[in-house]
This record gives sequence, C-alpha cells and structure tokens, in this order.
Amino acid sequence: METTSQKFNFKTIANSKTMKTTIKTLSLAAMALFVMTSCDDDDPVEVNEEETITTVELTLTNSTDPTDVVVLSSIDGDGDGPDPASQTISGPLTANASYDGNVRFLNELESPAEDITVEVRAEADEHEIFYATSIAGVTVTKDDLDGNGNLVGLETTVTTGAAGTGTMTVTLRHEPIKPNDGTLSGAGGETDVQVIFTGVTIQ
Amino acid sequence: MYKCFLFVLLLLSTLQAGAQNCNYTLSGTVKDFHNGENLELAVVYITPLQKSVSTDAEGKFAIKDLCSGTYDLRVSHISCETKTISVTLAVDKNITVRLEHHVEELTDVNVEANLRDNSDETAIVQRVETETIEKFSGATLGDALATIEGVNILKTGNSITKPIIHGLFGSRVAIVNNGLRQQDQEWGVEHAPNIDLNNADNIHVVKGASALRYGGDAIGGTIVINPRRVLSKDTLMGKAILTAQSNGRGGTATASFNNFNKSGWYQQGTFTAKRLGDFESPDYVLSNTGSETYAANFTAGFRKFEYGIEANYSYYRASLGILRSAHIGNSADLVRSINSGEPFVIRDFTYDIEAPKQEVDHHALQLKTFKRFSDLGKLSLDYGFQFNNRLEFDIRRGERSDLPSLDMDLLTHNLAAHLAIDRFDDLSLEIGVDGMYQDNTPDARTGVRRLIPDYNSFRIGSFAAAKWEFSEKWLFEAGLRYDYFDINAQKFYFTSRWEELGYDQQFPQFEVRESTNQIYTEPVFDYDLLAFTIGARYNVDEHQSASINLSTANRAPNPSELFSDGLHHALATIELGRLDLEKEESFKFNSSYKLSYNSFDLGVNPHINLIQNYIQLEPRGVEFTTRGSFPVDEYRQSDAFIAGVDVSASYQFDKIRNSESQQSVTSMEPAALLSSSFSYIYGQDRDLDRPLIDMPPAQFQLQFTLYDAFLNDLDFEVGMNHVWEQKRFPDTDFMTDVIRDDGTIESVEVNVSQPPGAYTLLNAGVSYAFAKARLSLSVQNLLNTSYRNYLNQLRYYADDVGRNVQLQFIYKI
Repeated sequence: METTSQKFNFKTIANSKTMKTTIKTLSLAAMALFVMTSCDDDDPVEVNEEETITTVELTLTNSTDPTDVVVLSSIDGDGDGPDPASQTISGPLTANASYDGNVRFLNELESPAEDITVEVRAEADEHEIFYATSIAGVTVTKDDLDGNGNLVGLETTVTTGAAGTGTMTVTLRHEPIKPNDGTLSGAGGETDVQVIFTGVTIQ
Repeated sequence: MYKCFLFVLLLLSTLQAGAQNCNYTLSGTVKDFHNGENLELAVVYITPLQKSVSTDAEGKFAIKDLCSGTYDLRVSHISCETKTISVTLAVDKNITVRLEHHVEELTDVNVEANLRDNSDETAIVQRVETETIEKFSGATLGDALATIEGVNILKTGNSITKPIIHGLFGSRVAIVNNGLRQQDQEWGVEHAPNIDLNNADNIHVVKGASALRYGGDAIGGTIVINPRRVLSKDTLMGKAILTAQSNGRGGTATASFNNFNKSGWYQQGTFTAKRLGDFESPDYVLSNTGSETYAANFTAGFRKFEYGIEANYSYYRASLGILRSAHIGNSADLVRSINSGEPFVIRDFTYDIEAPKQEVDHHALQLKTFKRFSDLGKLSLDYGFQFNNRLEFDIRRGERSDLPSLDMDLLTHNLAAHLAIDRFDDLSLEIGVDGMYQDNTPDARTGVRRLIPDYNSFRIGSFAAAKWEFSEKWLFEAGLRYDYFDINAQKFYFTSRWEELGYDQQFPQFEVRESTNQIYTEPVFDYDLLAFTIGARYNVDEHQSASINLSTANRAPNPSELFSDGLHHALATIELGRLDLEKEESFKFNSSYKLSYNSFDLGVNPHINLIQNYIQLEPRGVEFTTRGSFPVDEYRQSDAFIAGVDVSASYQFDKIRNSESQQSVTSMEPAALLSSSFSYIYGQDRDLDRPLIDMPPAQFQLQFTLYDAFLNDLDFEVGMNHVWEQKRFPDTDFMTDVIRDDGTIESVEVNVSQPPGAYTLLNAGVSYAFAKARLSLSVQNLLNTSYRNYLNQLRYYADDVGRNVQLQFIYKI
C-alpha cells in the first residue's frame, strides 16, 4: 500500500476497510516496538488478601465442666468473593451455666492461615468486640481490658438462663469510640466482622 | 478570506560605492504564504533611494536602476510577521516573497473555537476565561469548569472533583492538557484530574464528540486546556496569585512567568503550592478532608512562523484526605450513617491527612515540533509521555496502616502527527494519525487484591476534518475518525467469582492456571471505534446565529468497567466489571441559538444524546461475607436517552463617561452586568424504562456585578446558585440486616437512591484593581447553609462545606 503518498488523500481515510487493515498492520509493528522497549512483562504475582477475616470462631468452655465445650464458627472460604459464609455450631449450651468465651479471627486465604486475633490484641485500643443475643437470660460480659483500661471483648463470660433458641451475633469494630455505652449503635467505628449465628440452642 | 493589506518595506541596507553597473532590475512577486495567492497593493519602500513601489493586481513589483550588491529586504506589515531576506544582485533578479498575514493566530488551528462566541464553529464550544481561572486559583479544575452551563461536577468530598458534561463523565470526557490527552486513571469516580488549574490560560469545553483530533471516544465532551500562547516579541510576563481561605484555613500560592524573545526562543513556567486543612460544614468539622497539592510546569521552545520546537514537562502531586466517616465496613454501617444524619467521626480541626486518603503523582513530558509548508499548511508532530502513580490508603490493621491498599502505575506514550491544510480560501482541512501505548502495573505488595489488573493497551487512530465557509452566512463542518483499540490484561479472579459470573463457560480461552482459590487469566479484547461529526452554522443576521451539530462516537469499555473486582470502602459495595461489555455508541444532536442585540446576549443550547450499550453500574443483589452484607454493583449495558438544554442570558448596563480633558469626547463604559444561566438534563434508561442514575439536577445561577462603584476599579459582585432536587432517579435501595442493641436482628431498607433536597447558595465579593494588582475578597455560601449535593459521593455521610471567606491577591508584571 502506498500509505505515504495516499496519506493526505481523503478517500483513503474514508475507506475504512483498507485503512483498518493498514492500521492493524501498523499497530502490530508499533506494538512489537513498544513491547521490546518495555521490560516488565513478567506475569503478575498472586495477591492473597492480607486483612480479610474469613473465619470467626467463638469457643465457649463451661467454667465448671471443662468437657462442656461449644464452638460456634463461621467460615467464608472466598473472602469478599460470591460464596456466603458457612456456619457450624458444635452443640447446645447448658442452661443456667457459666461459660468462658474466647473468640478467634483467622484469615484462611493465606497459607498458613493468619491469626488476626494477634493483631486485634496488639491494637486492642483500636478494637472492640460486641456480642448480642436474642435468647432471653443470656448475658455476655467482657473480661479483658486494653492499655487504656477499656473493654476489648476477646475474652468473655457467657452466662445462660433458661432453655431457649435464638441468634448470637459477634461484631468486631475497628476504631470505635472508646469507652462507649456498650451498644453497637453508640460505639461508632467501622465493622470488620459481623456474624449472626442462628439456631443457637440452650437446653 | 484573506483580506489583509500588506505594506512591504524594502530596505536597502548596504550600498556599495564605486564604479558599478547601476542598471539592474529587482523584480518580484509578493504572495500569501498559505495559499500562494498573489497579494495586491503591497508597498515596497526603498529607504536610501527614498522611493516606493507597490505591487500590482498580480502581486508583482519591480525596482529599476539598482547597483550590484547585497540588499537586505525587510518585509513587514501591521500586526503581521516581519520578514527579512537578503538578496545579492549581480544580474537582473526575480524573487518571490511569501508573507504571513495572520501572526495573530500563532496558536494552533484547533478543532475547537477560539472564542466564547463560537463564531467559526458548528460544534458547541464554550470557553473559561483567564479571569475565571484566576478566581478559582485556590479551588479545583472542576470548580472552574462548573461555571459553564451544562457542566457539573461529580465530587468525592470537596477536593476531588470530576467534570460532567451534559450528564456524562469519567472516560466519556476527554481532558486535553496542552495538546496531550490526560491519562491519569480517569475511569474512577473518585479520581480527580491530576491537573493544576493554574497552568491554564483558557479552557475550551467542547460539548459533544466533535473534537476528533483528541480521540473519537469522548461522547460526553472534550475539555481543552490551553497554556498562554507564544508571542513573537521581546516580552517578559509574570503573574503571582495568593489565595487564602477561611474554610480549610489554608491557601494557595502560584507564580508563573512567560519569557518571549523576538528571536523565537521562549520559556514558560508555573509553580503552585496549596495546603488546606479540614473543611468545615456549618455544624461540624469534616474530619480528614485536608489536602496538599504541589505542581510545576516548565516549557522551553523555539518558534518561528515556519517552524518550531517545544519541550514541556509538568509535575503534579496531591495528597487528598477523604472524610474519615466515609470509610465504612458494611451496609449496616451505611444505614447507621444515613440515619444518624451526621458523621460518626468528628474531631478537632487539623491539617493532618490520615487514611483514608489518596496520594497521586503525575508526570508528563512532551516534545512537539511543527513545520509550515507553503501552499499547504502546518504539519505537527507531538510525542507525549505520562507517568501516573496513584496510592489509596484505607484504614488498615496491624503494621499495614502506612501501606496503601491500592498502588497503581500507569504509563502512557502518545505519538501524533497532524496536518492542518490552510491553503484554500474558504476550506480548511485537518488530517491526523496518532497512537497510544499504555501499561498499567498495580503493585502486588499492597496485600490487597488488585481492583484494576495489570494490562497493556494499544490504540491507533486516524482522523480527517473539514471546515467550509460556504458564504458569509453559511459554515459547514464534517469529520471522521477511526480507532483501533486493543487491551491485554493479566488478572487473578477468585475461582468462585469466575464461575459465578459464568466466565468459565464464556471465556475458557483466557484461563491460564488455577491456584487454591484463585484463577489466573489473560483476557484480550479489541474494539473498532468509529466517530463521525457533521455540522452547519447559519448567521441569520448581524445579531443572530444558529448552528446544529450531529455526532456519532464509539467508546470502548474502560479497564474499570471490564475488570473491576473488589470491595469499595467509600460506599461499602462490591463492584464487578463485565468482560463481555461491548463498545458504547453515542448519537448526539447538539444545537445552539445565539442572539446578541445591543447589550443583551442570549444563548440556548438544546441537546439530545442517544447512547446504545450505555455502560452503568447497576445494583445486582446482596452478598454476605464475614464482614457482613454488601450490595453488589455490576456494570451493565442498556440503551440510554439523555436530553437537556443549557440557557445563558446577560445584560450589560452601560454608562456614558465624559472624558475630562476633552468634554466633547464621550465613551460608553460598562456600569453593571447581570448574567444568568440555567441547565436541565433528562436521562432515561430505555431498556428498564426508568431514570438514569447520577443525572445532574436542574440548576440556575444569577450573578450581578457593579463596576467602578464609588471608586474607579472597585467592583462589587453578588450571586446566587439554586440547585433543584433531582426527582428523577432509579430506585436502587436494598435490604440489609442490622443488629439491634437488644440482640434482635432487623431487616432494614438502605435508602441509597433518594437524592438530597434543593438548596440555594449565595455568594458576594468585592475587588479592587490598582497598579498591576488586584485584591479581592469574596464569600461563598454566604448564609452558611447546610446542604447536601446529589453528585457528591459523600452525601450519605456529611453535609457539604459551609461558609468560606476568600482573600485573593493577584499581581502581574
């Protein structure tokens, strides 16, 4: 093709079919040139989300009977991916009992899984865990304090009352108002974890 | 029409004495440089002989009885380029002198008009003048552009602003800075143009896709930012602007210089520094909304009428704080924010900028050259290199607080050849070919999955445009552009996402390898993009003109629309691109009517845009994660219809001034100016038969300026801006679970679609010009009105900014 001599010709420009072929040829040539001059064409590396909390595990151990252990866990295998979290509750809680509660946060997108509880504990003054339940007679008391003497909630005492069924929620707030009135609405901050365990049974 | 009277001076600089043959004849022809037309009535004056001759109808002249020797011929004419040539006479000689008669027009013959009144264009072009740019020196590019009716701004807080032209923004609006199309990751809603407004001398806004030189995909419009034009005389100009403002408790300092030499050399430079702390709404501090911006621009070049070369480097750096309260965890947090009516973090005023914040760096290097060819026109060759780095910091745990969540390097090369043919009297032609290569590299060390993947893209395009001044009354324009666009990405998807979107069936050819829960893919796409524009303008009489412009343009989906995949903290949404998006096709009808009668000016600009495969973010449902629930927004295509009208009207009151020295001489002077503008936009999704999201609400502005009040050069100004409530919006509300304090779970509706109410803002100002300076004091949001703006992404979290008192000092040499 006489590209140079026809360059200023209107008809050539208007004839998009020929032009397209020319442009594609030109583009390939130019692209080859650019690829030769750029040096970072290695495959990108896979990034594993470092901060996503995939797993929340609340372990309740009966303070008078160490064999009475109930584990509530929620695992979201693909983090912010489309799959929802799956929940397991290992068994019922005993009525009118007292449990030592312990919550763990894991990121299982990383291998080996990262224990995010460590970070939360290290930055306890910037975090607080809130518990709420719809089961009558159940109370959750936070047992641990941060460096400023404010509640954290990694360690708790859960007392149960009469038999019943309902939900139990675990919410981790980042940068909440501290100290606060103990309610989610009053605490502010942003939610890092919000898990609603349904079908928690006390018998 | 080349109707320029030429005065040709023939200067005899050297006369050789002695016995010589003194009967030589120097004859010649004076021609127009552009079209070779012979120039009549050029006067040739020979100083030593005190003799003049003038050219005849054929542009010919003859000087008889000259001695042998070397003569410097200096050819000049009023307001035109002076030309000196040297002629050695030993025999009779016939020469041709080519004269350039429009030195006034030393800037490029661009596709956009050069006047606010677009008298030589059919496209709808409006201009932001130097004065307005100076006034907004301490604000943003978007703020200055929004002074034009039909241009709105999409905001994320107050320092991140993006221009919207006739309802369209982002990749649909091209920003051309000093001839180079800005590539600064403009696809993001919260990505403001990385441009220092103070570099601009004037800005043209082309409403619609008519500026084909800069790409055919700007279906919204093109913003052309022009630096001060180069002058061919010995001049040193300087300007300094200091702006202090009460809201944000900071200010901006900018200084620029322009050094022009008659020899052709010139240097230009601009330096800007800006520092603002937290903005304040009428009732509270908008915590973490401070900003810090530095910019520098330096140009050096050499320019003669026939050729020139220029190098330009510009740097822009900004740290922009984002309202702390806008960083939320899940949609329950959003409900909390919407219901509480005020931000959940209100701290004392500070200049500190913490996460969430953006840090952007933009470098641009340009090399340009041109050569004018006689009997043809001007050929330009431009190369541009841009490097853009964007860091976005989210609130993070552990050691990662100083680690950005997003770190992207975007590198762009542009090469363009452009020929403007001006040899014909009534017809001007332009052709060009240009290419772009782009490489995007997100840094993997962020520890956050890439929102936009690695990609290389390549574009090559060619265009031709013609403008035909058929008669005094009629002007026609047409243009055609074709682009080939190719994008190669390297992206990791969650395997679950890849399959959920059906890509494992649709695009198995892109799959490369799979790991535990992610899949590595290499999507490749190419697009053929065609743009076409045609227009006509009719000058009804000396007071009225009308023009229509039809344009069709194609836009390839941008990387965000194709590949987005991740959590957006500002709105707590999961944003998903679509690999199967097709190109957008716009068909725009733009028309304008202008009336200028005595002191009254009126402009009406109705427009209609039919967009096929309009790409928009659409809520798709809610997904549950350990963090809680999130609405999922997915890019979707539908047919859109956007129509609207921009109206501007002004009346200038004149006063008669009696000259003190000569009482008989009187002159008219402006005493006051009343100006107003109105714009309305209607947007409809024709597939879903419902309004389009984020369409600017109707707006009305009124401004009254009183000149020389009490004192000469003391001006007063009052104004108001009314924004109506946007009543046309799609219902994108969704349900989410909220944990009540009593432990019960409530499903509540998240009211994200309801636009905020109407508001009126008042402003006032006074300015005084003295010597080479101007001092002005102005107040924006005079009544400290609390309001929220539909086009502000942070409207869910906080009120907009309150009263601002601005003091500005401009000094020019």
